[in-house]
Amino acid sequence: MMRITALVRSLIAVALACAIVTFGLLALGASPTIVFTALAEGAFGNWLACTDTLVKATPLLFCGLSIALAFEASLWNIGADGQLIAGAMAAGACGPWLSRWPHPLAVLAILGVGTLSGALWGGIAGWLRARRDVSEVISTIMLNFTAAQLLSWAVHGPLMEPTHAFPKSAPIASSAELQLYFAPSRLNLGMLLGAILAVGCYYFLFYTQTGFELRAMGRNARAAHYFGIKTRRLTIITMGLSGALAGIGGAVHIAAITHRLYETLSPGWGYEAIAVALVARLNPLAIVPAAVLFGALDNGAQAMQRSAGVSPVLVHVIQAFVIILMLTFDSLASRHRVMSGGGTPTTKGAAPTAMDLVDA
Amino acid sequence: MTRYATSASIIYRRATWLVETNLLVAAGITKRFGPTLALDAVDFHAAAGSIHALIGENGAGKSTLINVLTGRVAADSGTITLDGNPMDDRSPAACLRAGIAAVFQSPMLFEQMSWEENLVFGGFERSGSRLDLAAIRTQARGIAEPLAVPLPRDNAPITTLSVSDRVRLEIIRTLSYRPRVLILDEPTSVLGPAELERFLDMLRHLRGQGRVVILVTHKLREALAVADDITILRGGRKVAERRAGETDEPALARLMIGELPEIVSAPEDEGLREEPLLLIDKIGAEHDRRRVLDNASLEINRGEIVGVAGVDGNGQNELAALLAGAIHPSSGVVAGSAADAIAVLPQNRDLDGLILEMPLWENMLLARPLRRRFVGSFGNIDRGAARAFAAENCAQYGIRVPGAEIAARALSGGNRQRLTIARALASDPAVIVAHDICRGLDFNATAEVHRRLRSYAAGGGGVLLISTDLDEIFALCHRIYVISSGHLTEVSADKRNPEDIGMMMSGAS
Repeated sequence: MMRITALVRSLIAVALACAIVTFGLLALGASPTIVFTALAEGAFGNWLACTDTLVKATPLLFCGLSIALAFEASLWNIGADGQLIAGAMAAGACGPWLSRWPHPLAVLAILGVGTLSGALWGGIAGWLRARRDVSEVISTIMLNFTAAQLLSWAVHGPLMEPTHAFPKSAPIASSAELQLYFAPSRLNLGMLLGAILAVGCYYFLFYTQTGFELRAMGRNARAAHYFGIKTRRLTIITMGLSGALAGIGGAVHIAAITHRLYETLSPGWGYEAIAVALVARLNPLAIVPAAVLFGALDNGAQAMQRSAGVSPVLVHVIQAFVIILMLTFDSLASRHRVMSGGGTPTTKGAAPTAMDLVDA
Repeated sequence: MTRYATSASIIYRRATWLVETNLLVAAGITKRFGPTLALDAVDFHAAAGSIHALIGENGAGKSTLINVLTGRVAADSGTITLDGNPMDDRSPAACLRAGIAAVFQSPMLFEQMSWEENLVFGGFERSGSRLDLAAIRTQARGIAEPLAVPLPRDNAPITTLSVSDRVRLEIIRTLSYRPRVLILDEPTSVLGPAELERFLDMLRHLRGQGRVVILVTHKLREALAVADDITILRGGRKVAERRAGETDEPALARLMIGELPEIVSAPEDEGLREEPLLLIDKIGAEHDRRRVLDNASLEINRGEIVGVAGVDGNGQNELAALLAGAIHPSSGVVAGSAADAIAVLPQNRDLDGLILEMPLWENMLLARPLRRRFVGSFGNIDRGAARAFAAENCAQYGIRVPGAEIAARALSGGNRQRLTIARALASDPAVIVAHDICRGLDFNATAEVHRRLRSYAAGGGGVLLISTDLDEIFALCHRIYVISSGHLTEVSADKRNPEDIGMMMSGAS
């Protein structure tokens, strides 16, 4: 019940953000109709545009799930970008060696190494948090830089393609490629895999013991510890799982779209996905449409620039307004909740609040 | 007619006499928090150049009274006169200007800064906007030297200072406001015996400077050693005022804890057997490099309610956390048939016992035995069964809610406590550890909790009741231990009275 009203608030935020941008465009003398039509055309205008929106949504979906899982445990994983790169690098490094493998096995292998690599990258931040009390915000940001630099070094060095002409890696074996069933559209099984993982994440969080413990830790780590939940171990596991989800995203991107590593692999999906996860209220099922929405905005932005002459930056403005409005609504909603009963948390524990006494 | 006139003039003369001979006079201070009467027409006065101890149990109204005196809380009625002048403006800033300053219980220092930088937030004189730490240091010396108080080395950060250094620093910071009335709220609870003597000497120096020193404490011996006058509060009322030289520890303990009827509904012996369920053997534990449990031993038999009495902060939290498995002992063992089946009701219910953002049924699942009961072989939770179980328990324990899906935050204090008790009993424990679970509950809710603990013990379980409320302990417990500085001492049958236990609680052997 709660979750649905929260999602409705997200939709209102999206609508309001568009309204604000409309006023901005009017004030600048531009025609909102033309701009938004171009945006919509670019995102959903034809079959190819639609499928490209889904392709653009895919990395956001994986990273969004990664972030939502960690955020549910109150672990602020800002490192989905680095974890995605780590997954892509492992996939790009193994890919060329899989030519002798049968297709399904090669695909499983390339996605598998990507998953493990992402899990390792996330797990480092989890270990630092659990054992050395290093803030995961700092460590994941640092690991993002590290991953980006490692990638840059790799495509200029050990993983550089055989002719050593361009900063990119050798192509992966064709047996390891995720097939494009709808060519020329780039639509692939990655989006489907992401949707299945979204359902899996939902089941994990709300229907399994470990998921329950993870959410308990995220809401009150002290109580979780008091009831024998091994919070340190769980921190490492959560960050590992979170990294794994982003890592698969990286591997999928290599296996389906680029087939090799480039220096500029991610345009910042890991950061944009924070917005995706927040708009979806960390609900894994809602991340699927949220990722599609953001993918559509990204996809439409380019068309909008072509046909309406509006800078694609406008899309980032819309995204930013969505987040700001949503957070504003949230604080209003929580204030309303406190006012209409329910009481407030008392740090002194048993000390009753006025609210407690009224409804006791 | 004349008789009335005479008595009126006596009252008037007494009032003026009080104001003339005392620097600080507070009269008829009343403060109500919701339905709770925290202070009930309390009178308090102190003469210049004296140390006045304010003693009382938790919840007696000590903190409220000093909060009123320092302007942090506005009284509902009553007057305060300082040096003959009624204080009409009683904002915190006005109180500080008038000369009433306080050092509060928990040190409020910036850990990463040097002690001089911390003193910047005091009442020292400054030259313009420049931050002159050397000048602050000099002024601090000017305050510290007459009191024979050593200062830390120059620029020492707070993290490197001992607890007693910190307390002294807070006092110097407070003295920089040149207060005529200095209030110290339980400053000695963190000091060791040797440091304590030096600290009391400092108080005597302050008295020598003509100030009023108000020492809030529950340590009777300390109050007797250093104070000139002692005011005793109980349940928001001023019970008595005594000259320190004309009273003694047992008398003060009785005044502080209150007259108790000889037998307060004695514990029942039904189900009590000589069969040890739980043995805590010479447990030691550290927290933040401080020894919080020291060679503590305790035994619980089948059907027995064992009490642990003591002043808050003497190791009770750690004892409960240890039995919950949240912290591990550095020495000693917890043994006995019940060692693996202990349910703990923590003191800090909302922080340690519940997850307020989660629904009731998920809160039930926090108890490990219940989690096990509703988790399938693949780690999947049977949500339907867990929800039905929680709803059933809510009904059984009188928690009236529309369903188990609502968040724990929506429950009242009493219902939250019912939920934790329901959860503990539903998980079939062999021993229940209950830590201050009736604090903040009203009379009926308390009675209900007591009834549940009793019937649980009568059914063959063991209960460890950790409480600061002696009435509760006397009423329920078969045997009583006193915890003091992390050490447990069993109370022999002949010492089972408020005076002796009060003395043991305050550290006397």
